[in-house]
Order: sequence, then C-alpha cells, then structure tokens
Amino acid sequence: MTTTSIERNEAGAPLISVRDLSVSYDVARTGKRLTAIEGVDLDVHEGEFITVLGPSGCGKTTFMNVVAGLVKPTTGTVLVGGSPVTGPGPDRAVVFQDYALLPWRTVFDNVKFGLEMQKELKGAGWRERVQDAIELVGLAGFEQSYPRELSGGMQQRVGLARAVVAEPRILLMDEPLGAVDALTREVMRDEIEKLMAATGKTVLFITHSIEEAILLGDRIVVFKSHPGAIKEIIETGLERPRSERSIQHDPRFLELRDHLWDALQGEATAAAVSK
Amino acid sequence: MTVTSATGTMRIVRPRRVIRRSEAKWTWLLVGVIAAILLIWEAAVSWLQLIPASFLPPPTAIAVSFGKLLVDPEFWGAFGYSLGNVAIGLVIAVVVGVTVGLAVGWSPVLRFTVAPFLWLLYSTPKVALAPLFILGLGLGSESKIALVFLLAVFPIILNTMEGAVTVSTSLVNAGRVYGVNGVALGWKIIVPATLPYSLSGIQRGAALGFTGEVLGEFLGGTGGLGHMLEYAAYQFQMDDAIAMVIVMVIIANLTLLLISTLRRRLAPWYDDRKIAGAS
Ligand SMILES: Nc1ncnc2c1ncn2[C@@H]1O[C@H](COP(=O)(O)OP(=O)(O)O)[C@@H](O)[C@H]1O
Ligand SMILES: [Mg+2]
Repeated sequence: MTTTSIERNEAGAPLISVRDLSVSYDVARTGKRLTAIEGVDLDVHEGEFITVLGPSGCGKTTFMNVVAGLVKPTTGTVLVGGSPVTGPGPDRAVVFQDYALLPWRTVFDNVKFGLEMQKELKGAGWRERVQDAIELVGLAGFEQSYPRELSGGMQQRVGLARAVVAEPRILLMDEPLGAVDALTREVMRDEIEKLMAATGKTVLFITHSIEEAILLGDRIVVFKSHPGAIKEIIETGLERPRSERSIQHDPRFLELRDHLWDALQGEATAAAVSK
Repeated sequence: MTVTSATGTMRIVRPRRVIRRSEAKWTWLLVGVIAAILLIWEAAVSWLQLIPASFLPPPTAIAVSFGKLLVDPEFWGAFGYSLGNVAIGLVIAVVVGVTVGLAVGWSPVLRFTVAPFLWLLYSTPKVALAPLFILGLGLGSESKIALVFLLAVFPIILNTMEGAVTVSTSLVNAGRVYGVNGVALGWKIIVPATLPYSLSGIQRGAALGFTGEVLGEFLGGTGGLGHMLEYAAYQFQMDDAIAMVIVMVIIANLTLLLISTLRRRLAPWYDDRKIAGAS
C-alpha cells in the first residue's frame, strides 16, 4: 500500500494549504468545548481531485467549512492561492449535502444565484452562462421549475450548476450524493468524474462511501474521529477517465477498497467504544 | 467549459401535477348536507310550526332579510366602517408583527429575553381587555382599531418568529458562500424563507382582528356591523340578526380565502400543509 506524504512533486505552490488546523465548538447544551478537528495538515494542488473519507461526526464538514470560509479556525492557518481565508470568496463554491437551494427561486434563478458574488450580473452574457450551466448538468427544459418539483438527484444537479456557473477555482462538495437515491448516485458519480476531468477544477469532495472516494479521487484523505484528524492520505493512482464499471475489476481498486474498509472498520469500532 | 452535457442515458421525466379529484366529491357532499339541514329547518318552522318563527325564523325569511340588507345603504355604511377599522388595525399589526417577529426570531438575545413574554401575552385572553379599551379610547374607531391590532398582532409575531428561527443553516451558508452577507442576507434569505409563515400568521390575525372589531362595536360602538347586529337583536328582529351573522361569516371566510390566495401567489413554493404555525 502506497501512503504518500503530503508533499507532491508538482510545480508551484499548492492552491490550498492547511497547516496545523484545529476547530473547537462551544456546545451550548453542555457548556463544554468540543474539539471537532485537530492538527490537520494538507496541501492541495491546482487541478487535484481530493476525496475526504471518514465516519460521520469526524469533522469532515467542519474541515470543508473552514476552507469555504464559513467557520473560523480555532488555531492554525488555511491559505487559498497564498492568502489566508477570511470568509467565503468567488474562488470557492460549495455543493451542500442537503442541496440548500432557495425554494422560492426557479431552477434558472437558483443557478443565477451562483453569480451573485461575481457582480457579473450587470455584465453581458450572464444569461448564456446560466443557461450553459443548466445544460451542462442535464437540466435543460427545467429552467422554470421550482426545486420542490424536482427529485433529489435533479435538485443536486441544480446545486452543481449553481456552483460551477461562476467558474470558481475550487469546488467544495459536502457529501453531495449522500441524500440521493442509490441508482441516481451511481449515474451522478460518473457524471461528476467526467465533468471535473473536463474542466480541470480543484475539488475537495467529502464522502463516507469507500467506492465513491476511490472512483473520484486522485488522493484520498482518510479522517479518524475523537478528535477528528487525518489518519492517512492515499494516492489512488487509477487511470482516468474512470467509471463505475471500468474500475470494478481493477486489482488496484480492489486493493484500495480492502485497505480503506479495514481502516474505516477500525474507526467505526473505535468510535462505538469511545461513546 | 468544454463538456456539452454531463447527462448519461438517464432521461428525466417531469413529475405529474397532483390532481385533487377527491376534494370535489367532498364539496358536493357538503352542499347536500347543508341543503338537507335548510330543508328540515324550513319544515320545522314554517310547515310543522314546531318552533315559533319569532325565535328562529325560517331560512326563507332570513333570505328575504339578507336580500333587503344588500340594498340598504345603512348596511353598506356599517360595512365600510367595520372593514375600514379592521383594515387599519390589521395593516399596523402586520407592520409591527413582521418587524418584531423577524427581530426576535433572528436575534438569540431577544429570543431568550422577549419571546417568553410574547408567548405569555399571546395566551392571555385579550378580549377581556376590550372594555378597558373602550373606556380608555372612547366609543369611536380608535378603540376598535386598537382591539383589532391587539388581537391580530400576536399570531403574526409568533408565526414570523417561528419562520425566522427555522430558516435552515445551510440556506444561510449558501447565501454566504455565494456572496450575500449582512443586511442583504436578511432580505434575500431570511425574509423570503419566513414569508409563508408570516402570511399564515396574518391569516389567523385577520380572523381574530375581525372578531375584535365586532366585539368592540358590540360592547360600545356608534356604528359598524356589530352595532347593527346588536340593534337588530335588541329589537328582537331575529331574521335581520341572523342575516347579519351570515354576512359576517361570509366576510370572515372571504378574508381567509383572499389571504390564502395571496399566500399561494406570493409563496408558490411553499406547501400549505407544511405550516402548522401558532394557532
Ligand atoms: N456548529 C456546531 N456547534 C457545535 N458542535 C458542532 C457544530 N458543528 C459540528 N459540531 C460537532 O463537531 C463534530 C464534527 O461534526 P462535522 O464536522 O459535521 O462532522 P462530519 O461532517 O464528519 O459528520 C460533531 O461531533 C458535531 O456534533
Ligand atoms: Mg458532514
């Protein structure tokens, strides 16, 4: 099993650089402080697809929210493009697990919301960009539908379109397929793989599915819980383009799957014992 | 971007609209039941004379009184007076209620300090205060408007508050990620997310406010539908009195219909059945 260090032999500074990051929350109910993540170090280079894998409650969302600028680090630093993150910015877009679409807006207007920060609404061509993004995720014809009229998978396509419309450098996806039904999930995994390979975006993709982590990731960041921290980082080393089908019998896939299975199994047991 | 479509072979089929055919059936059943009751009533009073007509006038007599009311200028004057007061009281209640509800719902500090008092006031039977209002503000419109306001404002505040509190964190996060913050976060995310709740509170507030108006006129008034009803009852003109009550029922229901139509117009994304709200 190859477990690479965080250093990669790539030219230039990393796009995302996380150093000794810890986040703790004040828990109002108990009055105590809860350490969600501790001592996280990670470098992500331009164009990399990183999957973050771990049991639920291990701090994956917290980690992503810090990179998104939604949560402030308690200690440590997060640099994006060399400058510290002070809040959300147009260089990063988020796809939420529960879609987080605005129910009072149509599909078109929800996708348009992705351009809100750009101030590009005033510029020419924004309508085309919104339309292109909608077509990209396969929702042409549903521009005037409201989110509640769409299935979960379709709603997440809207979430995806909203994230890519402004062409951010970094896409942050928090278990985007977690709430989608199994069949749609498999289809959408392949779609995301194709889409990201074509656009060359830098992606931080959170999941608790081993298969998903392998299928999509260039590197897999495995989290452990209590406290949340990085357990190991694994280079997948699988050829692209990949698809659900093509990797099923790849020996490397099977090897990775077994390894991750053991790693997570240990985690799940540890989590159960410590409770 | 170079990819033209990321969709595989999946075809997405537009979901069918839900047809509520069963509801029409219930409407007809209701019409049938009402017709049957009216028929029995008419038979009991006019034909079998089981009940004296001066106590309970037959439906036909009430229908005649109702018809007369509709061409009576005095009635329309009272109608305008009452609805005018309700409208003024309600507008003030909406402005105050929505503002206070949003503020208390949005600010944790206010929520912990002010909200308990709001609930306490909400559950106090405010109609008991009606005589005080009339003593304090007189027999004119002012006391009625105050009463409408008092009764209408609490459901509006509490529903709006509940709406503001339940706005999901991820909607707020989505707003922040895509560049909305500060005051804009309020009116781009919080206010629209809360709107259906407010409208639900306004609907209930309108019904209560109308009750407040009639009650105020009853207790001490110089005009309005409640005053006319009281007059008819004292004169023992039961057919007129019942016709007045029917008018009020119609007004109350038209108001509810108007507001729920408004709600469907302004918040078409929201499923009515999902809002329970304070009641
Ligand atoms: N806003 C918050 N306030 C208090 N505790 C929180 C908050 N957000 C997350 N936590 C806690 O931090 C831990 C990690 O949560 P999270 O980052 O959501 O994990 P994951 O996404 O891996 O499931 C959990 O124990 C969770 O209860
Ligand atoms: Mg999570």
